[in-house]
Parts: sequence; structure tokens; C-alpha cells
Amino acid sequence: MVESASPASLVSQPVRPDDPVFVARKLCRTYGSGAATVFALRDLDLDIMAGEFVVLLGPSGSGKSTLLNILGGLDAPTSGTARWRDHELTGSSEADLTRYRREHVGFVFQFYNLIPSLTVLENVQLVAEIAENPMEPRDALSLVGLEQRLDHFPSQLSGGEQQRVAVARAIVKRPDALLCDEPTGALDVETGKLVLQAIDRANRDVGATTVVITHNSAIAGMANRVLRLAGGRIVGEQVNQRRLPPGELDW
Amino acid sequence: MTLLDRKLLRDLWSLRAQVITIALLIGAGVTVLVGSVGTYTSLVANQDRFYDDARFAQVWAEVERAPRSVVPRLSEIPGVGVVEARVIRDVRLDWPQSALSVAGRIVALPSSGQTALNRLTLERGRWFEPGRSEVLVSAGFAETWSVQPGDPIRVILNGRLQTFSVAGIAYSPEFVYASRPGNPLPDDRTFAVLWADEDAVAAAFDLKGAFNAVAATLAPGASEKSVLAAVDAVLDRYGGRGGYGRRDQPSHRFLSDELAEQRTLALTVPTIFFGIAAFLLNIVLARLVEAQREQIAALKALGFPSRPIAMHYLKFVVVLCALGCAGGVAMGVWYGHGMLNNYRPFFRFPALIYEMPAPAPLIAVLLSVAAGSAGALAAVRRVLALRPAEAMRPAAPAAFSRAALGRRWRPTTKMALRGLAGRPVRSVLSVLGLAMAVPMIVMGLFWWDALAFMIAVQFEGVDRADAVVSFTDPVAGRAAREIAAIPGVLAVEGQRVVPVRLRAGPRDYRVGLTGLSAGAQLRVPREQDLRRVPVRPDGLTLTRGLAERLGVGVGSAMVVEALDGKRPAVAMPVVALADELLGFNAYLDIDALNRLMREGDRISQAAIRVDPARASAIWRSLSERPRVAAVAVKSVWLQVFDEKIAGMVVVSAVVLTLFGLIIAVGVVYNSARIGLQERAWELASLRVLGFTRGEASGILLAELAVQMLIAIPIGLVLARQLVATLLELRDNESFQIPVVISAPTYATATLTVAFAALGCALLVRRRVDRLDLVAALKTRE
Repeated sequence: MVESASPASLVSQPVRPDDPVFVARKLCRTYGSGAATVFALRDLDLDIMAGEFVVLLGPSGSGKSTLLNILGGLDAPTSGTARWRDHELTGSSEADLTRYRREHVGFVFQFYNLIPSLTVLENVQLVAEIAENPMEPRDALSLVGLEQRLDHFPSQLSGGEQQRVAVARAIVKRPDALLCDEPTGALDVETGKLVLQAIDRANRDVGATTVVITHNSAIAGMANRVLRLAGGRIVGEQVNQRRLPPGELDW
Repeated sequence: MTLLDRKLLRDLWSLRAQVITIALLIGAGVTVLVGSVGTYTSLVANQDRFYDDARFAQVWAEVERAPRSVVPRLSEIPGVGVVEARVIRDVRLDWPQSALSVAGRIVALPSSGQTALNRLTLERGRWFEPGRSEVLVSAGFAETWSVQPGDPIRVILNGRLQTFSVAGIAYSPEFVYASRPGNPLPDDRTFAVLWADEDAVAAAFDLKGAFNAVAATLAPGASEKSVLAAVDAVLDRYGGRGGYGRRDQPSHRFLSDELAEQRTLALTVPTIFFGIAAFLLNIVLARLVEAQREQIAALKALGFPSRPIAMHYLKFVVVLCALGCAGGVAMGVWYGHGMLNNYRPFFRFPALIYEMPAPAPLIAVLLSVAAGSAGALAAVRRVLALRPAEAMRPAAPAAFSRAALGRRWRPTTKMALRGLAGRPVRSVLSVLGLAMAVPMIVMGLFWWDALAFMIAVQFEGVDRADAVVSFTDPVAGRAAREIAAIPGVLAVEGQRVVPVRLRAGPRDYRVGLTGLSAGAQLRVPREQDLRRVPVRPDGLTLTRGLAERLGVGVGSAMVVEALDGKRPAVAMPVVALADELLGFNAYLDIDALNRLMREGDRISQAAIRVDPARASAIWRSLSERPRVAAVAVKSVWLQVFDEKIAGMVVVSAVVLTLFGLIIAVGVVYNSARIGLQERAWELASLRVLGFTRGEASGILLAELAVQMLIAIPIGLVLARQLVATLLELRDNESFQIPVVISAPTYATATLTVAFAALGCALLVRRRVDRLDLVAALKTRE
């Protein structure tokens, strides 16, 4: 390992407003065909800057998850283009998208998606093993405050703990992008805050461009920018002058 | 159609690949069951019908020469039904088409036409007309040599060549299995049965007004033993050679041996085969249902009572079994026809008709539905026993153990290993299922090994002569030296064979007692481990099968009654046992045997070794000698063995191997598919995290590989065990098959199962490639 960074050595990374990493133009995603066609995304344009923390807000069916899946290389738009730096996310082969996810993206999902037969440490090692320049898995777990529970299986952890393992698993590879789909959706307030803190640290300390989906507008306070989605379009944008620490969020 | 039925149809469609493999698995089991049982019952039915129609006799006796006036005394014996006295003689045919001498047996029939017993069935042509030198010819010989009515046939009757005209081709219940005396296999090329007018035959053999053979039926309830004793008593003073019942009638004995064999095979192989298929069906359906756990729970939560839910899955099983059984019964009939056709050259019945045993398909259907529904309903019950809320969640993660997995293992390897260890019962069942595929294939293939071994032991170890020359009557020992003088003959050993009756207490057996010289090299009785068994002057050496039949062992006292010449009887112990694969044999030192017979230095046959380059000239030269009755050439014998026995074995072996493969594929494919279904969520999660398709499916395939690695050795051990059990249950006096399974057979079975696994793995891998990643994220496992 080249840099075996300890959490203490990490320094907060600034947003670079002149350096767009995600660029989407005229993004459309439809499901079904003919009269039954459902639009998940309609002509959506989007730029996300390096190191930025973006929250996507919107009701169910507004297209947030579809957008995140396209940005994460899990889904392909029906038309339009999406790019991560020099990676085309539209029209790429399955193998290219897999490599993109593997090299650049960390995911956190509402249902954690941990591997039940692996311990906390092993779940994190799993990803560290396929990453090019990973952190020490224990360090990633220290970042989310789980250094004491390394040998537990997911079923022996609370929901919040499981989601923090998922965050540690997402950041262990030092991702360029951290994509979180309803990371607190299944958690209570206090537990949710712990998870958000972990995500916040990943954004600040690792410098990962972070996109968080939520329908909980209280979370918007911790973002650089908040985008509101409805009917497959961006219908509002709000720039926060000051990012609130997750501990100060109130919902 | 209820909505549940609609769901049933859609489930069947969406699981079609699994449905097909499971139906094939059931079908394979049913095919073997229906085919084998059908073959056996058809053979028995054909035999019964033919015996009944032809009025097959129940006791026989042979005698030197008895006047016809004795016949009424035989008829008066209490317990005797119809008696028929006949003239039967062994003859030689002058048959230039054959390079080898052709032996014949001529049976004299009354000029009046059909006999009361052992009636013939004409296949072609007509009955012979008295006084016109016509004969009927056995169907097997006629078929082999394309003999047609009207053809001439030259027969050497008592040293005199006589030309007959073939009037017709016939079947006889006495020669369903037509083998030349001393030859354990029927050989239609060198053996013919002829039926001719009584007057002509009797005259040729100086038996006018006399007979030398008797056949009779028993009155209902009569004791065969006491009738035979009475017949022997009557015939004794005319040179009686002893009577025997159906059990020892040569054709019947081989036929019943073969039927006993078929019965064992018809019952054991399908039972094992079907048992395995049923076991697999049980496992596969249990897992299939378990994979629908959440649906079952949801149905229950929606208020469906347990019964319709159980019925729903029962219907699923019934549809599967119906598909499998329908195909299986059709295939089974086809397989049975094929098997029966294989018997045609062996067993000459006027008509060999396949008859489907009515209960077989029914049993097959019931058993498969029972096995399938037991598995499926147990799984349904397990799910229904849970509270719906609990059941709707996925099964609780198994108690994964941290133990025994060091830090050096990769997380993906740990996933595979814990996946196996976490559900031990299921893993054990899957491994067992996979293991069962191996014996399926071995049971098909091992026959080749066993036959090769039998041939090697019998024809390279025991029977080392190139040919055995038999004489019309015992001749002086110097005849051997005359044969040795033929150019190209490398070695000659004279042997004396005397028909005897061996008695041990209440049991007795008629056999040819073979006299061998002390240092004989061309006939060497051996033990199973090929150790030489001595042939001694002071006691008998018996083959193990014969010893078992007589209930004797080394040291037991026996009485040897010669049925030839002065017919001396002497008490003699058993001094050694030999293992022979073919037939029952008894041996004694040749000098001791000649002393017993009080006939001086005599031989009745000679074993010879020849220069292969000059063999055909030697056979010709031997056949021309007047005192030579027959020349049994080993290479011909081997060819017959190969064509008939091996041909028969090969068909069933190929079929069993094919079905073994179907079963292997069925198990492996379903194991992998259900494994995938259970892990789809996990694998999709890995793919989302950036694992490649290869890496994600690698976990599933590693799990399969580990199962295979455990299953195959278990399968190999099981295979040996099952083959041993199968042969243990076999009870065939003529052919004793040893448990011999060669390394290539094990290797073939292993590789076949491994390749089946690989093929299935690749199919499943394609499914991993198509996993819906987004869907995996939306649902909680």
C-alpha cells in the first residue's frame, strides 16, 4: 500500500468549483413503451463539481434514484449523455462500467447491502481487496466509529451500525465519488446522524464528491448544494453558504 | 382457472429450464423402471406361453438303449403324466460354408406328425413327409446360414453321410437356448438341431423299436424327485444315464438363469436408479419451494389457508411428475423393445412380444409423485409453521462461524465456505445429490470392466487352449499324439470328461467331470486371485458355484456316480474349490478318473494350442477326422461372447450411462440454479460494489466446486458399494460377475459429472451476467 493513511493525517478537501466531475446533458430515462411509457428522467442537465456535497431531494418517483443509478454506472439513460470526468457513462460496455464503479465510486444504500456471511472487517476488506489504492480497512472502520466491532457479523449489529459499515466499505477504496441512496431511510434520528457524520467525514477527509439522495429535507443543511427533483426534472436549486455539521441537523 | 393456477402456470414457465431438467430426471428413472420390468415380464410371459402351447415336458431321462416295450412301465409310474420315448443323437453336419465343424443334434419324431410333448412351432415351410429324407431345422441355425425350405443339408449319421432336404424351419421349447453340449453359450453358427422321421433316424443308429431318451410330464401334485427315482429304477438295466427335471434341462436352465438375472436387474437397477432419482427430486423440490418462501408467507399473510397453498405446490409437483412419467413411460416402452430385441438371437421363441407390465407405470407415477411431494410439502410446511411476518423476511442468516477461517483466506472464499457451512443440512443433501450422479454412470460403465476381467481370467488364466477337440467316443490316449503331429499344433493335452451325478446328502447335480493331467497347462483351475488350484487324484476340485449348489465345502464327502460306461460309483471328498466365471465344473486327476472308469488310458477331448498362422488349416484337418465330433475354437467362442453377451450389456450400459448423465445434469443444474436464486441479492450487491461478472459468479462456482470436490470421492465409494450390492443380488449360475471397476471407469464417471457441472456452471454464469443490479438495491434481502 502506498499511503497507509491514518485518520489523523487526513486533511479537509475543498470544493473546486471550476472542476465539474459529473456532467449530464438532456438525460432521459423511460421505462416501458408506447402508451405505457413512464418517464423517470426528462431532459435533465446537471453539473457536479469535484469535492462537492450534493443532496438530491424529492418525493418518491421524482427520478432521484434513477439519476443516482446512472451516475453510479448501474443504469443507462434512454437518451442524453452522462460523463464522469473522461468516462462516458452512456453507451459504455458493461465491463467499462464495472471498472468505473470499481475504481471511482463508493455506494451506500438504504438497505446497507452488506454480505451476511462476512464479518464487519471482512465486508470492508472485500472492497479493499479489489481497489487500487485502498485505505487500511481498520482505518475506514475507525472513521465511522466501529473499530470495536470488527469481528461481528452484520446480523449482530444494529441498523445504524450496519449502515456505518456500508459507509466504511464505500470509503475504504478512497472513492472519487460517494453515492448514497437514502442512507438514513431505515434509521432513527440519532442513528441517522451518526451515519451522516460518517458520510460527512468521508466527503471532507477523503475528498469524495458526494451525492446523497433523501426525501428528508432536514439533511439538506449539510450539503454545499441542494437539488430538488420532481417529475424527472430538476425543479429547484439551493446553495448553502455554510454546511451544517450533521450533529446540528434537526428533524 | 383460479389465480393460484395461473401463478402455477407462470411459475412453471419461468422455471422452465429447471422444470425440464427435473422432468428428465424423473423420466430417466421411469424409463429404466418400465423398460427393465417390462423386459423381464415379457420374457417370462413369452416363456410361459411357449411352454404351455408346446406342452413343454417336466422331466427327462437318457438311456443307452431301451426297448419300446418299457414305455408302458414308465407310464405306470405314479405321478407321471404323459410319457414320450424318443431317439436323440448327436451328429455332425457336412456344412462346407463353415470353416469350423458344425455339430448337430437330431431328434426323431414319429411319422404321424406332432408329438404330445415338446411340440414344435413351424416358422416357415411344412412338416417333413415320411420316407422322403426330409428334416426340420432349428430357427437359429437357419437364420444364421440363411437356410430355406428346399435346401439340401448333409448329415453324418453314425459315420455315414446322408443328404436330407429341408422341409421347414421350427422352434422347440427344448432348444429356446440352443447350445452345443459343453458350450455355455448358444452358437447358431456351429450348432444345429434337426428333426427327422423316426424310422430313418432309428435305423441309422440301430435303434429300431428302441429309444434312448424320454420326456414326460408330471401329474398335478406329483413329486419330481420320486418320479425321477422311479424312472431311473426302470431304466437302470438298459443303461440309464439318470433323469433330471426342468431345472437341469440345458435350455431351460440357461433361460431361467437369464431370467433370474433379468429379474435382479429389472428390480435392483431401477430401484437404485429410481431411488436416487426420487431422492434428488425430493431435494430439488424442497429447495425450489424454499426459494419461494416469501411468496408462500405473503399468501398466508393475505389470508390463504394452508390447504390451498399446499395444494398449489402439490399441483406443481404433479405437473412435473406427469411430464416426467409420460416421457418416461414412452421411453421405457422403447427401451424395453430394444432390450427384448437384444434377446432375440439368444432366445429362440416363435414370437418375442414386448408386453408392458400394467402396474409399472402406475408404480412409477405414484413413487415419483410421493417422492416429489414429500420434499415439496415438507418445505411448504416448514414455511407455513412460521409466523407470516417472520416468513416474509428471508431466512435468518445462518450462524456463521468465524472459527477455522484464518485471516489469510480472501473474503470471497470465506463467503463461499460460509455459504456451505452456514446451512449444513442443505449442503450435505446437495453434496449427496451430486455424489449420486457418479454411481449412476459407474453402474452403466462397469459392465465393460467386468466383462474384460472375466474374459481375461477365463481365457487367459483358466482356459488357455486355442481350441478343444472333442471325440465322438472316448479314445485311446495316443489320439493326442496324433493330433500333435498335425503341422502347426504346438501343444496337446488329453482330457477325459465323464458325465456324472455328484451326490452330497439329499442334493445332487449332473455335471461333466473333467479329468486333467497333473501338470496340465491348457486348462488351469484357479482361485479368484488367480492362484492355481491343484487337481488331485484323491478328491474332487469343484467350482465354488457348484459347491454352493451342492452345499459342500473342502473336506465334505461326496458320491460320484458315473453315468457312462460301466457306471461305477465311488465315494470321494472335496479337496479344493476353484473360482470360475463360467458354468459349473468338477475336476479330478485324469489317471484317477480313468482308474475309476476301469477303461484304461482314455481321453474324450483334447485341448490344443496352435500356430495362429496355420489355424484354419488345422481346424479343417481336424474336422475331417471321423472320430472328431466337434472343434470348439476359443476365438470363435470369444466372438460369440462378444456379440451376444457384450452386445446385450452394451445397450443397457449405454442407456444407463446416458440416464446417469441426465440425472447428473439435473442435479448439478438445479443445485446451481437454486444456489443462484438464494444468492442473487448478494451477488448483485457485489456487482454494484465493482466486482466483475467473473468475480461475482466465481463465488457461486467456487461453492459448486467445493461441493463437487467433496461429492466425487463420496460418489466413487458409493459407486463401488452399489455395484457390489447389485452383483451380490445377482444369482446366475452360468455367469459369475466379479466386482471389478477399472480406473478409467472411475475417471470417466468423475469427468462426466465434472463436465456436466462445468456445463451447468457456465449456464448459471450467464444468468449471473444478467442479474438486475438495481433491483437488488431496492429490496432488502
